Amino acid sequence: MSDKISVTFATAAEQGARKTVQVTRDTTILDAARQAGVDVEATCGSRGRCRSCRVKVLKGDMPPPTVQDAVQLGHDEVLEGFRLSCQTRMLGDTTVLPMPPKAEQGHKILEAHESEIDASTLNLDSGVSKFTVKASTPVEEHHQTSDVEEILSTLPNLSNRTVPLNCVRKIPQELRKQGGILTITQFHKQIIDVEAGDTTKHIYGFAFDIGTTSVVGTLLDLQTGEQLASAGGVNSQAVYGGDLMSRIAYAQFDEQKLTTLRAKVINQVNQYIRQCCDEAGVNSNHVYKIVIVGNSCMHHIFLGIDVSYLGLAPYAPVVRENLVFPASELPLKASPNAMVCMLPIIAGFVGADTVGCILSTRIYESEEIRVLVDIGTNGEVVMGSRDRLTACSAPAGPALEGAQIRDGMRGAIGAIEKVEVDNDIICSTIGNVPAIGLCGSGLIDAAAKMIDTQVMDSNGNFRKRDVEQLPERLQNRLIVAENGSREFLLVSEQDSGKNRRVGITQGDVRQLQLAKSAIFSGIRMLQSVMNISDDEIFHLMLCGGFGNYINIESAKTIRLLPDLKHERIAYVGNAALLGAQMALLSESERDTAYRLTQQIEHVALAARADFQDIFVDSMAFKGSPFPTPSKTSRNKRKERQRTQLVK
Amino acid sequence: MNTEFFDYEGPEEPELQIPEGWENRAPDGWEWQTLWEAIETGDHIYADERVRQSIDTGIDPRVILDDGLFPGFNLQADRFSAQVIFIPEMLITARAMKAGLALIRPLLAAQAEKPVGTFVIGTVLGDMHDIGQSIVTIMLENAGFNVINLGTDVHPDRFIETAQKEHADLIGFSALLSTTVYYQKVTIEEFQNAGHRDKVNILIGGAPTTQEWADECGADGWGKDAVAAVRLALKLMETPRQAWD
Repeated sequence: MSDKISVTFATAAEQGARKTVQVTRDTTILDAARQAGVDVEATCGSRGRCRSCRVKVLKGDMPPPTVQDAVQLGHDEVLEGFRLSCQTRMLGDTTVLPMPPKAEQGHKILEAHESEIDASTLNLDSGVSKFTVKASTPVEEHHQTSDVEEILSTLPNLSNRTVPLNCVRKIPQELRKQGGILTITQFHKQIIDVEAGDTTKHIYGFAFDIGTTSVVGTLLDLQTGEQLASAGGVNSQAVYGGDLMSRIAYAQFDEQKLTTLRAKVINQVNQYIRQCCDEAGVNSNHVYKIVIVGNSCMHHIFLGIDVSYLGLAPYAPVVRENLVFPASELPLKASPNAMVCMLPIIAGFVGADTVGCILSTRIYESEEIRVLVDIGTNGEVVMGSRDRLTACSAPAGPALEGAQIRDGMRGAIGAIEKVEVDNDIICSTIGNVPAIGLCGSGLIDAAAKMIDTQVMDSNGNFRKRDVEQLPERLQNRLIVAENGSREFLLVSEQDSGKNRRVGITQGDVRQLQLAKSAIFSGIRMLQSVMNISDDEIFHLMLCGGFGNYINIESAKTIRLLPDLKHERIAYVGNAALLGAQMALLSESERDTAYRLTQQIEHVALAARADFQDIFVDSMAFKGSPFPTPSKTSRNKRKERQRTQLVK
Repeated sequence: MNTEFFDYEGPEEPELQIPEGWENRAPDGWEWQTLWEAIETGDHIYADERVRQSIDTGIDPRVILDDGLFPGFNLQADRFSAQVIFIPEMLITARAMKAGLALIRPLLAAQAEKPVGTFVIGTVLGDMHDIGQSIVTIMLENAGFNVINLGTDVHPDRFIETAQKEHADLIGFSALLSTTVYYQKVTIEEFQNAGHRDKVNILIGGAPTTQEWADECGADGWGKDAVAAVRLALKLMETPRQAWD
C-alpha cells in the first residue's frame, strides 16, 4: 500500500473546477482541502465542536465516523456520508463534496463610511511632509561629488541627511527626468522618498482596523483629512477559527501556521490598498503612512510575532509600545518607505483596537464617568473619566456571532436580525428573504422577547408548567428538539429559506448566557473596582461592528448591558478605526495613544477573587425565576404520569 | 402540522428519586421532603438547620447523607446534565450541599468511613479559569472522594508532587481555553516521564475538550460535564493500577 492517496474536491453542480491533491494517508479532509486551496470554513478552529466544516464523501473509502461526527451531525447525516472534515482522516482515494460556506452573502461589515472622521477637530500633523527642490546633476569629473550629494546640498539643514538605499537606487533616473526638479518626502526629519517633478499635492495614508472577524481600511488625504475610499470584508483568517483563541491555538508553537495566517491578512490588506487607490485614482506610491489597530493577537499575527504565549496565563503580549516599520519590510504595497505605525497595546487581551476607541471617544478627557463597550468574540470594556481609567477584556466567545448556536450564522442575508412580538412572534431577516438562520442581534432580540412573554424565566429556563397560560400561538412554538431538549420555534420549515425550521434551543440559550455574562460581568467588575453605581454612569458607548445592530432595549432585558436610561446608551460606530484615522492624521494623537497605555489600569478578570460571584450573578436575565413546583404540584405530576401509564 | 406542537409535555424531565424505605431508617414522623427541597432550591440556611436537627435526633450520619442530602442534589445534577438548569442554579445547590456536608463529614470520619478514593484536581498551566472544576470538586466530594483541589494555573510538577504525596488514585486536568488544552497533554507526558503514569487514572475536562482529544492526549477518560466526570471517576476506581510505594 502506498502512503499517498489522492483526494478530489467536487463542486455542487458537478461542473467547474474539481481539485485533486495527493496527501499522505491519514491526513484529515480539512488539511487536504487547505493543501488543495479549497476554502472550507472551520469556525470552531478544527476542534470538532461545530458543523461548519462538514463535507459529503461521494466516492472512495468511506472513513469511519468519529465520536464528534456522531455528536455534531447526528446518525442520519453520518449514514448519508457526511463527515466533519477537521476530524475525519482518509484511508484511501476519496472524492468529497465540500459544503458552500453557509450561503453567507452580503455579510454585514461595519463600513468605514458609517464612522467618518471630522478632520476639522484635529490638528493635521501627520508627520509626512513634502517639498520641491531643484538639484543639478554633476557636471565636471574633477568635482568630487555625486547625485545624492547634489540633492542633499539643496535641503534645509534641519533634515536628517541619510537617504534610504531604495531611494538612492532610483535617484539617477529621477534626478534627470525633469531637469532636476524633485519632490522630497520626509517623515518627521527622515527622508523617505525622492521623485521627479512636483508631487507635493499628493500625500496619502491608510488607516486599518484588523479585527478577528472583519478587516476594514480607509484611504485618507493627509493634507485635508478627507476620506477618499474605503474597503472591508470578513477577515480571511476566519476559516482557521472564528474566535481569537482558536486562531491562537491554530498558530500555537507552529511557525508555518503562523506564516499562513500572516500571509492571509497581509494579502487582504494589500488587496484593500490596491482597491482603494484604484477607486480614488491615487498612485499607491504616494501612500506614506499607514496606521494599524487590532487586538493583540491580530497585531502580533500581522507582524509575524509568535502568539503562543498570548494564549497562556498570564497572557502577556510580546511587545506593547508604538512600533513603526517601513512598508517594504512587511511588505505592504505602498511607497516602499511608507511608515507603518502600529498603535500600542494595553494588555494581552486589551489591544490597539481598544486604544483606538479610547482615542476617538475622548473618554480620557471626560469630566463624567463614561463606559466604552466593544461587543465581540473578545469584548472589551473601558470605564472612567479624565481622573482614572480602567479596562478589562471579557471573553464572550463566538456565540454572539452565531457560532455554537444550532441555527446560528453571521449577520448575512437570510439571518433573522430582529424579532418582535404581538400575540405571535414576527421575525425580520437581513435582505427580507425567508430565514435560513439566526445572527447575534436576532438571538438577543428573540431571547428578550421570550423573557418579556414569560416563555423563559430569568434563569434562562424554558417554561415547563402552566404553558396554557401563554397566548396560544406562543404555546404552539414550544416544541421538542431532535436531541430531546426544549426548543422555541421562530420560523417553521415551510416558511424558512432552507429545508429546516429555525428555532432557539435550551442549549442555545445557555451559550447566550455564557457570552452575555462575560460582557456584563466585565462592566460590573470595573464598576466594583472603581466603586461606581449605575446612576453614576453618564454615558455608555457601544462600539465595534456588532454594537450597531443590537436592539438596546433587548440588550438590557437579557442583561448584556446595564439598565441605564435609553438616552445614556449610544452607538458610536467603528471607534477603533476612527482612532486609527486620528493617529494617521495627527502625530500628537499617536503620542497620546502611547501615553494612554501607560496610564490605563488593566483589570484581569479571571485573577480576581470576586469574579466567579459576579460572573454567576451576571448569567441571569431580567425578570424573575419561575417558581419551583411545590410538593403538591409535584405529586399531581406524579399522579398524572401514573394515570398515563395505566391507560 | 407536527403533532408535537399540541402536546407539549416537554422532554422527559429528571425526577426526584426518593430513596426506597427511608421511613424505616428515620424516627417515627420524620420527613426529609423539606431538606430535599432546600438542597434543590439552594436554601443553605435551612439545609444547615435541618442537618443539625437530624444529627441531634441521633440519625446515623450515613443515613442523613444518603436519604436527606443526596436526593435533592442528585435531582439538580441530573437536571444540570440535561441542560434543564444552568451553572448558577447548580452552584447554589452545591453551596447548600456543602453546608450539610460540613456537618456530616467529621462524623463520618469518626466512624472510620474510608473515602472512595483520592482525587487530585486542578486547572492546567496557563489557565486561570475554575468554575467548571469547582462544580466537579463538590460533586466528587459528595460521591465520597477525598478531593485535593490545586486551583488554577497548576504546573505539571505540582500535580506530580501532590499525587505522590497523597497516593492519588485519580487526577483531573481542567482546561477552559483552546490554547491551554495543550498542557493537558504535556502534563500527562510529565506523569509518564516521572514513571507514575500507571499508578493513576487521568481524567480531562473543560469546554474545549472532546473525547477525541482525550484519546489523543492519552487520558483515561473525558467528562462531558460534572455528572459524567463523577460517574467515570467511580468506574475508573475499579480498574487495577500499579500501587504507590
